[in-house]
Amino acid sequence: MSGWERVRTSSSSSSRSPHGMGSNAFRELPNRIPSSRTIQLGRVQPQAPGHRTVFCNDRDANLPVRFKGNSISTTKYNVFTFLPKALFEQFRRVANLYFLTISILSTTPISPVSPITNVAPLSLVLLISLMKEAFEDSKRFQNDLAVNNNLIDVLQDQKWVSMPWKRVQVGDVIRVKQDGFFPADLLCLASTNPDGVCYIETSNLDGETNLKIRKALEKTWDYLTPEKASEFKGEVQCEQPNNSLYTFTGNLIFQKQTLPLSPNQLLLRGCSLRNTEYVVGVVIFTGQETKVMMNTMNVPSKRSTLERKLDKLILALFATLFVMCLLGAIGSGIFVSNKYFYLRPNAGDEGSGQFNPGNRLLVITLTMFTLITLYSSIIPISLYVSIEMIKFIQCTQFINKDLRMYHSETNTPALARTSNLNEELGQVEYIFSDKTGTLTRNLMEFFKCSIGGEIYGNGITEIERGLAERNGIKIQENRSANVVQEKGFNFDDARLMRGAWRNEPNPDSCKEFFRCLAICHTVLPEGDESPEKIRYQAASPDEAALVIAAKNFGFFFYRRTPTSIYVRESHVEKMGKIQDVSYEILNVLEFNSTRKRQSVVCRHPDGRLVLYCKGADSVIYERLADGYNDIKKVTRNHLERFGSSGLRTLCLAYKELPPDLYESWNEKFIHAKSSLRDREKKLDEVAELVENGLVLIGCTAIEDKLQEGVPTTIETLQRAGIKIWVLTGDKVETAINIAYACNLINNEMKQFVISSETDVIREAEERGDQVEIAHVIKEEVKRELKNCLEEAQSCLSSLSGPKLALVIDGKCLMYALDPSLRVMLLNLSLNCHAVVCCRVSPLQKAQVTSLVKKGARKITLSIGDGANDVSMIQAAHVGVGISGLEGMQAVMASDFAIAQFRYLADLLLVHGRWSYLRICKVVTYFFYKNLTFTLIQFWFTFQTGFSGQRFYDDWFQSLYNVIFTALPVIMVGLFDKDVSASLSVKYPELYMEGIRNVFFKWRVVAIWAFFSVYQSLILYYFVSTASLTAKNSAGLTFGVWDVSTLAFTCVVITVNLRFLMICNSITKWHIISVGGSILSWFIFAFIYCAIIGKGNTYFVIYDLMSTIYFYLSIIFVPVVALFGDFVYQGIQRWFFPYDYQIVQETHRHEVEGTSRARLLEIENQLTPAEARSYAISQLPREISKHTGFAFDSPGYESFFASQLGVYAPQKAWDVARRASAKTKPKVHRKNDS
Amino acid sequence: MPPETSTSSAGGKEGSSGPSSKKNSKKPKYSKFSQQELPAWKPILTPGWVISIFAFTGIIFIPIGLASLYASEKVVELPFQYDQKCIPSEYSNNAEAYIKSTTTNKTCTATFKVEKTMKSPIYVYYQLTNYFQNHRRYVKSKSEDQLRQKSAEEDTDDCKPEARTPDGQPIVPCGLIAWSLFNDTYKIKVKGKHLKISKKNIAWQSDQTKKFGSDVYPKNFQAGGLIGGAKLNESIPLSGQEDLIVWMRTAALSTFRKLYGKIETDLEANEELSLVIENNYNTYSFGGKKTLVLSTATWIGGKNDFLGLAYIFIGGLSLFFAVCFLLMYLFKPR
Repeated sequence: MSGWERVRTSSSSSSRSPHGMGSNAFRELPNRIPSSRTIQLGRVQPQAPGHRTVFCNDRDANLPVRFKGNSISTTKYNVFTFLPKALFEQFRRVANLYFLTISILSTTPISPVSPITNVAPLSLVLLISLMKEAFEDSKRFQNDLAVNNNLIDVLQDQKWVSMPWKRVQVGDVIRVKQDGFFPADLLCLASTNPDGVCYIETSNLDGETNLKIRKALEKTWDYLTPEKASEFKGEVQCEQPNNSLYTFTGNLIFQKQTLPLSPNQLLLRGCSLRNTEYVVGVVIFTGQETKVMMNTMNVPSKRSTLERKLDKLILALFATLFVMCLLGAIGSGIFVSNKYFYLRPNAGDEGSGQFNPGNRLLVITLTMFTLITLYSSIIPISLYVSIEMIKFIQCTQFINKDLRMYHSETNTPALARTSNLNEELGQVEYIFSDKTGTLTRNLMEFFKCSIGGEIYGNGITEIERGLAERNGIKIQENRSANVVQEKGFNFDDARLMRGAWRNEPNPDSCKEFFRCLAICHTVLPEGDESPEKIRYQAASPDEAALVIAAKNFGFFFYRRTPTSIYVRESHVEKMGKIQDVSYEILNVLEFNSTRKRQSVVCRHPDGRLVLYCKGADSVIYERLADGYNDIKKVTRNHLERFGSSGLRTLCLAYKELPPDLYESWNEKFIHAKSSLRDREKKLDEVAELVENGLVLIGCTAIEDKLQEGVPTTIETLQRAGIKIWVLTGDKVETAINIAYACNLINNEMKQFVISSETDVIREAEERGDQVEIAHVIKEEVKRELKNCLEEAQSCLSSLSGPKLALVIDGKCLMYALDPSLRVMLLNLSLNCHAVVCCRVSPLQKAQVTSLVKKGARKITLSIGDGANDVSMIQAAHVGVGISGLEGMQAVMASDFAIAQFRYLADLLLVHGRWSYLRICKVVTYFFYKNLTFTLIQFWFTFQTGFSGQRFYDDWFQSLYNVIFTALPVIMVGLFDKDVSASLSVKYPELYMEGIRNVFFKWRVVAIWAFFSVYQSLILYYFVSTASLTAKNSAGLTFGVWDVSTLAFTCVVITVNLRFLMICNSITKWHIISVGGSILSWFIFAFIYCAIIGKGNTYFVIYDLMSTIYFYLSIIFVPVVALFGDFVYQGIQRWFFPYDYQIVQETHRHEVEGTSRARLLEIENQLTPAEARSYAISQLPREISKHTGFAFDSPGYESFFASQLGVYAPQKAWDVARRASAKTKPKVHRKNDS
Repeated sequence: MPPETSTSSAGGKEGSSGPSSKKNSKKPKYSKFSQQELPAWKPILTPGWVISIFAFTGIIFIPIGLASLYASEKVVELPFQYDQKCIPSEYSNNAEAYIKSTTTNKTCTATFKVEKTMKSPIYVYYQLTNYFQNHRRYVKSKSEDQLRQKSAEEDTDDCKPEARTPDGQPIVPCGLIAWSLFNDTYKIKVKGKHLKISKKNIAWQSDQTKKFGSDVYPKNFQAGGLIGGAKLNESIPLSGQEDLIVWMRTAALSTFRKLYGKIETDLEANEELSLVIENNYNTYSFGGKKTLVLSTATWIGGKNDFLGLAYIFIGGLSLFFAVCFLLMYLFKPR
């Protein structure tokens, strides 16, 4: 207990002087906390100096330091800060600020309108915005509350006491059970697993689903039970909270020893515990100070392109406003004159300065302000709030609740995380997609194989199916009844199953094939040694799939020791016989990216020495023994067939080694292995010596299982004019492979491959001079780009030239992104139909995205599922995260989250397109109705001696935007549909209208503006010119307020009817809103005009309605006003129809079915061009050399390393070593040394 | 520690994957609204629709136009512009001096002929041009409260510069509008006999009853240095001063017509009318024209060919477009 006393003294001293403690501790530990290079997902956060000391299991001792509690808060406001902060946010908008200024201005005498005119709409707008903010924040608050109240076991008085997360404090010892989430950043003390190991899933942090291992310090392994754990007294000295997920430095001072801590002992909040009954840990960072919370980035708020263009429109309106005011002001300067004696311009009273001809400059200046106040309605104040409301409903009601985007397997609906990018979805031109987890399921399934020149496996890949369907062949999928289906194995051929292979033409090849699968790998079995329960831990899912395949063929690999592999072989000697065989593993020649192969030398029980090898066809074929040319040729054909159907292939080969030859080689091998310098290189060279003269057994074909519907979706999106780029960390071959499988690239395309795997570059690399390497690569890339560009141009210039595809790898990309080459790269890639970037780091993904975003000024969308996609997701205009099984990091950074790649079609083609269409209509309509309204006022100004007399009553004007014309425009924002959802997907070409921004061009705005001017002229002059003579049978004439009220009625009716003319579909809500708006005007007028003496409009509406003239006018004026629009629309539709209008008319008579039949699956009619291209594709042609080498292992390349831009050395055998350590740690150590 | 219990401590996100997943299903509920399948009418502006809408508009508008035009044609209107005629020739170059002078004789006589029979009631209007009753300074220069109730007599804030007399007494009715009240008067003789011009019910009822108080009497009106226009009889309450009420319903445009009175007898065609005009009102300084208008009225009001013609024009245009589109549809279908 001496250590305990040490802690005590230190804690008591600290309680005396909490400030002194830090420096004390620091002196004790000089330089013990090394500065580490910080890698984090977001911005770089400078590390706080110093460190923190945590006393474990001792709340009192930790008290003086006042660590933050474990409750988190993600809310933006609290009760007190809400009003000032939220109001401040609101007034950051130009329109709101403008109206605030106008409101203040309208309290002065120069204002022609009463303040209410501007205050009423402004306050209504603010009220709605504030309510929305409050609602959203309260939702966040409730989320926080739920999280904070999760229960966790905390050690108290030798018992586990369940308490909510928020009451967990720094230094507490807590217990987390299997599948539980860690409530804070913990120091792992003990685990139920034997050697203090626990498995965690970090998918919430980085999106990686493969389990990670954390291991407690050996000294603390025992503190597992509450009784024991309560005795644990230690002191943790560690870095201050920071946002670096992958670093941690600190020391545990425990039992007088200082034990260094590493990220290996740290369990981060947000991760969950797997495969471990429970762990005990000490809380180190809590609440907001946990690494994951420190890492929550403020998602950079994105604004849609349309909204930015909207700002320009608003600016244009401001300019118009200014011009109008200037004209009016100059007019007033000319008008003012003493001759109008009845105005008493020179009376000298307060306010007459504006009308005094003695100082015309003053008149002009003051009138300018007057008119700005008067015409303020030209700026649509409620536009932003209306759009916000519309988008909010679109998100929460339409996107989030779309059943077509609900994935029932993972129980994940789509989620719109930001509500201001809906219409951006309708204009996306470039999609940047991650591969693993997005296009593919990262699920490798053994699908086919070729043994001894014979193809086995009846499955049909998606790409084959797609091709066949396009050629009109219906594929019957007749699967045998007794197919073994398990994860990793999707193979259907009875000829190989249950020992039936014995009857095949070459059973010996089969046997070696299976043995090779069962022996030559780096897989680690876990769990029960029975075929059903065993779980294989493999560095790559390909490997697991191969071992699972071997298992299903009757070669069940069930145990691995450092020296042997145990295989339960069936049917080998005779049918039905099962025997356990152990193979002594003598050497392992590791896989790496240059070797592209992996070999194992093993000793059979009968003493034979055999080398099994598997690898890419290119490297295996080079090393085959002479002869066997038939099999080689047949197998190569098979490889190509597999490759073009999108499968990942591996060649298997073996070689018997004569013992003497082996011994001599083994010496070299051991020598190489123990060499200190260039070990990897030397090992490769040694391996080269033995890996030759191989005998080809056959090849395997693994299906990199695509996500459901990926090829169809990609095809649909491509037809929509969207270009899809795949950005992946995979190798060139794999990436091309997937591009084939996804239908992104096919054999008719002209492929440009810019790869760093060329001899020139490799030679340079071997020489090792960094400067030279850079120079060589740059020159190479430049040369390649130039060649490709020339070729591309010649292809493009010929009419029937092939489509282009570009494949470029990360290293080349690094140089191609150099400013000097960037333009060339951009030129080339923009001309390509498909682009595949492989081996790219997350940073490069973002660079490529912003290259297109900024360089080409196209609207981009990034979709990905993992933490390595975060930067790309944030860089693009729209970021989409794949949610569901995978991690949260991408989703947290994204704007939209969907469960499956295929939902992208719905998200873009349906929701995006509609949103774009709707928002365009909302914006242009808003623009129109306010312009029309204000122009009438403008025309009136000319006839009032430019005095700025208002035409409309104050209340009429203030309610025009917020009541009489507010609701219908929301309806169009919600309900307008040009064509149904299914037709939107069936005719993806409609989407191009969004890409070309057809509906919100300046031309469109100009047309609206033109008709706005036309309508305002009609509305104003038709109503006012006829005002001269008597208007009723009693000979009474109209005054100014009668005329203006009549005009206002006409405006309300016209504008509302014009609204109906923009609707593609009219629901009852349209009718209700339009009817309601017009009705509300009348009701308001009836009430307002009946209030005695209130304003000039007293009784006006009643007087008006007592004349026939009124009715004649309100029928006539709107019709004439809309006459022009109607003629325009008729002619436009007749002669210059939009695409959607053609589709509308084609499907005019179809009832939109409520059945959810997906038209995607319905056989599409081919356009002549497509038919031709397919016909061409069927012509005999040179078969591509593409064979689809498969051995890729994303698991090797940890995210950590890729963040740094370097690839971590692959250590496949770590798995094996770990396995040995688990079973026989002693042996393992002996062997290793 | 049975592992089954472990799920209970799992975080919120994990809860859905347990056996209770049915309950926690995040599957959105089906509704026509959220699936955007609300039943809707999809109007498509096909040529058929265009043609029929045009034809329909034409068919509706032309009869209305004809009816309005007919009604308007039935109205007999007799305008008589007198602003120049009533200036004696010696003042023809200095009309302003003439009108401002208190010594000149403002009475002016003229004769004109009734061209068509005019049935009673015949409305007498005065029409002014270039007179900006809709000027901002003018429109707001009145006090509604003061006009309506006696108690608000002091409420003259908006009336500047005609709010108070130099000694601070409130002017009732205050403001520029009342101050500039039109003060030309007309007498009409037929065959030497005076026609009675009635001043009753020449204002809108609503103005008369609610806006102008029956207990508010003119006070200090036109008592200042500058006389703007007519004086008011201080014994008649404002609600009875119909000339003022008519004048104070400010006109929309700078050319306007206001009702002067009604003649309750018919006028035969070709009758000679002799007018006696008191030409007091100064429109000469700003070049405004003054016209006396005799007019009858029908259901549509006064003479208003514009509306009828516009209706007919638009109706005709619609029919024209209908025919054009139809021809196009027949000869050059899409």
